[in-house]
Amino acid sequence: MTLRYPDDLPLRDDLREGHAAAWADIAQPGVSWTGAERVAILAEARAALDCELCNARISALSPNAVQGVHDAASALPAAVVDGIHRLRTDPQRLTRAWFDSLVEDQLSLAAYAELVSLVCTSVIIDTQHNVLGLPVAPLPDPVDGEPSGDVLDDTVDIGAWLPVMKAEADLTDTGLPSVPNIARAMSLVPRAAALFFGAFRPHYRLQQIPFAISQAQTEFIASRVSALNECFY
Amino acid sequence: MLLRASGEQTGTEYDLNAVTNDTGDAGVEHESLLRELTEAAIRNRWDDLEDVRARAMQAMGEQETVDALTVAAAFNGITRVADATGIPLDEQTAATTVEMRDVTGIDRFDYAQKSARYSTADGSW
Repeated sequence: MTLRYPDDLPLRDDLREGHAAAWADIAQPGVSWTGAERVAILAEARAALDCELCNARISALSPNAVQGVHDAASALPAAVVDGIHRLRTDPQRLTRAWFDSLVEDQLSLAAYAELVSLVCTSVIIDTQHNVLGLPVAPLPDPVDGEPSGDVLDDTVDIGAWLPVMKAEADLTDTGLPSVPNIARAMSLVPRAAALFFGAFRPHYRLQQIPFAISQAQTEFIASRVSALNECFY
Repeated sequence: MLLRASGEQTGTEYDLNAVTNDTGDAGVEHESLLRELTEAAIRNRWDDLEDVRARAMQAMGEQETVDALTVAAAFNGITRVADATGIPLDEQTAATTVEMRDVTGIDRFDYAQKSARYSTADGSW
């Protein structure tokens, strides 16, 4: 199923193309997940929005205070479903202890990085549809094949939960490094990083933003989203 | 933090407290509408969004409104990447924003602090 926005919407071509390419890539076998599992991860991310357990946790002082079973939309393992639902509905309360437990017992680091990329890419694309008043795009049809297992060998620990690619610390005139940490967050799995940023890049520039709103307005919106989502970065 | 950098480039000073707080005036054009658009979009309040989107299109223009929502959609995704990977601030950014992060309260979102706040006493989850 190809993703296509209505022609009459004032969306730039690179956004239309970036989202269509991401949707097509999601259907392909990944690094740790098959195409069917990758599409199931997206289905699960959507199901989280109507999950009773997730809604109860959001209302609780601590998400750990509420136990139960998620309203799952797939046959993915329960711990994976839990991870997807938390990331979709309550990301600001993910903890290092939760992450450590998940990757110790249930998922490889690479599988986790790929899962994060899939969920977050779908959040961008689904949110884009939601905010324009469009129904979300039908999920892509999965493509058969085996996961590649391709991960980056040469990584470094910068204090993040995942090891990341090495990068120079040189600064650009924005005051940020030429490769900011956020761009390295999923770099253990280069294809995961490429998927996410392929969808993200048409939405934002650090400078000379090619939009009808100003750079300051852009940064204000970005900052407000970060504050609402209680995001430190 | 990039709003501050944007202000430095244009010689404009923005009130960064108004960005992290739910009310206030940071000094950005059409700020009230941008704030409403963003909150309705991120809080999944679609009925509210339909209303504010119509008002924004009238006041700001259709392209401006769509562009604003396009930025919000992107950051709804990338904030989750940061939250799910515990990625630290870039070294230079961390060094130059100590006071600003303290004043605006952004430090309360630090991943180590949040992990301590939301983990159970025995470290389980």
